[in-house]
Amino acid sequence: MIVQWYSNLRKPVYTYTFFVCLWGILLFMSIQYHHLPDYSMSDWVMIYSMVAAVLILEHYTFQIPPEGHRLSMDSSVYLAALFSFGTNLTLFVLALASVVSFMHNRAIVWWKHLLNFSAYTFMILCSSAVYSWFGGTTGAFNLQHLTAYLFALFIYFVVNSLIIGLYYLLLYKGRLYEIIKGFLSDVVFAYLSTLLLSIVLVIMIVNNRSFGLFLFLAIGMVLSHLFRQLFKMYNEVTEKANTDLRTGLYSHSYFEEKLDEYMRQSREQGQPLSLVMIDLDDFKKYNDAFGHPKGDKLLGFFGQMVKSHCEPKGLFAARYGGEEFAIIMPGFAKEQARSFMDAFRKQVNDTPFEGVEVFPHGCVSFSAGILEISRETYDKSQLIDWADRALYAAKAKGKNTVFIYGEESRLPPMLENDIYELEQQVKIFLYKDVYTYKHSKRVFAYAMEMAEYLKLRGEDRRQLVLGALIHDIGKLEIPRDILNKKSKLTGDEWEIVKKHVLWGKEIVSVTPKFKDLIPMVEFHHERFDGKGYPNGLKGEEIPKQARLLSIIDSFDAMTTERPYQETKSYSDALQEIHRCAGTQFDPELAAQFIGYMEGKLSEAEAAVTAEGDHDD
Amino acid sequence: MVYDGIVIGLIVGFLRAGWRNGITALSQIRIKGGLIFPILLATQFLLYLLHDNVSFIQQYNGYMFMLVYAAGLYVLVINRKEKGFWWIFAGVALNFLVMLVNGGKMPVSVEAASVLDPIYVDMLKSGDVSTKHAMLDNSTVLPFLGDIIPLTKPYPRTQAISIGDVVMNVGIFIYLQHAMASRKMGLSLLNQNNID
Repeated sequence: MIVQWYSNLRKPVYTYTFFVCLWGILLFMSIQYHHLPDYSMSDWVMIYSMVAAVLILEHYTFQIPPEGHRLSMDSSVYLAALFSFGTNLTLFVLALASVVSFMHNRAIVWWKHLLNFSAYTFMILCSSAVYSWFGGTTGAFNLQHLTAYLFALFIYFVVNSLIIGLYYLLLYKGRLYEIIKGFLSDVVFAYLSTLLLSIVLVIMIVNNRSFGLFLFLAIGMVLSHLFRQLFKMYNEVTEKANTDLRTGLYSHSYFEEKLDEYMRQSREQGQPLSLVMIDLDDFKKYNDAFGHPKGDKLLGFFGQMVKSHCEPKGLFAARYGGEEFAIIMPGFAKEQARSFMDAFRKQVNDTPFEGVEVFPHGCVSFSAGILEISRETYDKSQLIDWADRALYAAKAKGKNTVFIYGEESRLPPMLENDIYELEQQVKIFLYKDVYTYKHSKRVFAYAMEMAEYLKLRGEDRRQLVLGALIHDIGKLEIPRDILNKKSKLTGDEWEIVKKHVLWGKEIVSVTPKFKDLIPMVEFHHERFDGKGYPNGLKGEEIPKQARLLSIIDSFDAMTTERPYQETKSYSDALQEIHRCAGTQFDPELAAQFIGYMEGKLSEAEAAVTAEGDHDD
Repeated sequence: MVYDGIVIGLIVGFLRAGWRNGITALSQIRIKGGLIFPILLATQFLLYLLHDNVSFIQQYNGYMFMLVYAAGLYVLVINRKEKGFWWIFAGVALNFLVMLVNGGKMPVSVEAASVLDPIYVDMLKSGDVSTKHAMLDNSTVLPFLGDIIPLTKPYPRTQAISIGDVVMNVGIFIYLQHAMASRKMGLSLLNQNNID
């Protein structure tokens, strides 16, 4: 017990507290010792009144916005007592008030009472010394002592700031100057009025004794009450300003403010910090279908889900704007953030909501971009930008996904514009056949990876990547009934489907700069053995990139769910490609594709087992 | 002086809680050993009546009052969990203390009593005022706990009171506020739930 006491005491803030208390009490004793209280009955009445005043004003402690420094007007009573009745009586009032307050507020830890008492003792003694040094005498207000009053007030204030400033300096670290400056800028006016009121009280107390004090007390209570109301109002308004009414989440501006704070915190504590940007998928579609009131309901619903999911984990969720949301995840590395977001995404997908049938996925869904903030990143706006980019990558991949910044494939800038342009064209599938849209996006993603893997450069790379994106554009012309037909196609219908490569060729050839993509669109259904369509080209007659595209196209078609087809697992699909190498597919390219995919799968498998081991 | 805290407490309580809620709240007050209070009051009154007639009582009057006080303190202690009762206890104890050390009588300062009717001051000086009071002089122990606080205009009553009285009345006030106003909040919450 004693050892623990001692080690506690060695913390600077406690050492400081200890010495302030010790000196405060010693000083108090040495002064009161020579002057045992021997007051007349009317003095006692005055003392009682002042103790009561101090206690009441203490009870009416108010806070000053914005930081909420706690202030009470009891200082004016002490100062008035000092000016009118001298140091001894003032200290006596202080002691009585401290004892009562100690017995009354037992919730406050005992040494804080002592610290408070000692601080007041210092303040009273210093300002008393200055007061008499400038020729001030106790008794009624005297205009000739004006300098003495003012200097006493000033010193009282200075000592107070120093004692409090040092305490917070040791408690929170930082610079004394900054702390005192912050303290001063907030409370200086409230403090000034408190101090000036003490002079008013001197005038009243001497002329009207207790009644003067009573009057003062009434004013003090009213003022304190008003300050309290002000603080309450301020808090309510800030709260309102910081939250978004629609969703109950925090607002954009408060998010930016908090992001700085969280970044600083994570830097100081060396903890990871992730930033997530979320965008509701196809919200506009919902809005258009049901009108804004319904759309607002969806936003509110989603906001509540975000809130209830994030709050228990101590995450900071805000509505970034429109249907965009942002979450700050202190302590989350990017992988943790991803698994958290994926779990949340699944939960959102599974939650029923009115009218979700208008969404392409048939449920409420969102895309998210994750950025883990590293120690070097300082610029806030860039961070949001990066997370946004990951978000758009997730959108580009067909939505309802979560992406980590830096893990989406990087694109050379020249290609990027063309990709964007073709993307706009492919987007038209969203209205007609979302499966084709998502298929195009995935094939495009595979093509990107293959281009990387095969080290394709320049034109080859461009042809493969852009061709993959646009290859099925001709399906626009296929009637919906056929596209969405669940049973087997008739011969005529099959002929129509086959035509999509030619229609696609026509569509692509409209834009001169995409002429080089025509073979990709036209020939991606040609077979290596010459049994494909439309022209029945054979072997090397088919351009190399088109041969590769055909493999990717088939692989994706096999591995994705389609109404008229059963889904194959990745390894089964690779087996099928292997089986068809030489007949349907170019054997060399097929082998390369299989090699790449197998490497990727075993990597993923290894990651899964590693994670499994980790869990154990 | 006991009544001032009750009256003010009730007035403010009714203002805050409203008539009906206030009455309901008051009817719900439960104090442990609550019956002891009226008995104590009756005893006090009886002692006052019989004081001049029965010599036994006249002789030991001060000590009997002390007994009444001690019983009152006991009731306060067993109810110390109630809000404000610690204040009441402290006030009564202060009064009790000063009477105990001054032969069972409350010392009254002439200075404070000067706000009262001058006849009363004369009676105080002559030493035969009442069963409970005595003049405060140099021989008084703990004089600052005696009736030294003059109450006069603008306060509606003219009185000399002690610090114990003040503390006790603060306690009564706090208790009544708590009993009446917090009850009101509880009720309004209940009503809201019903409407929903």
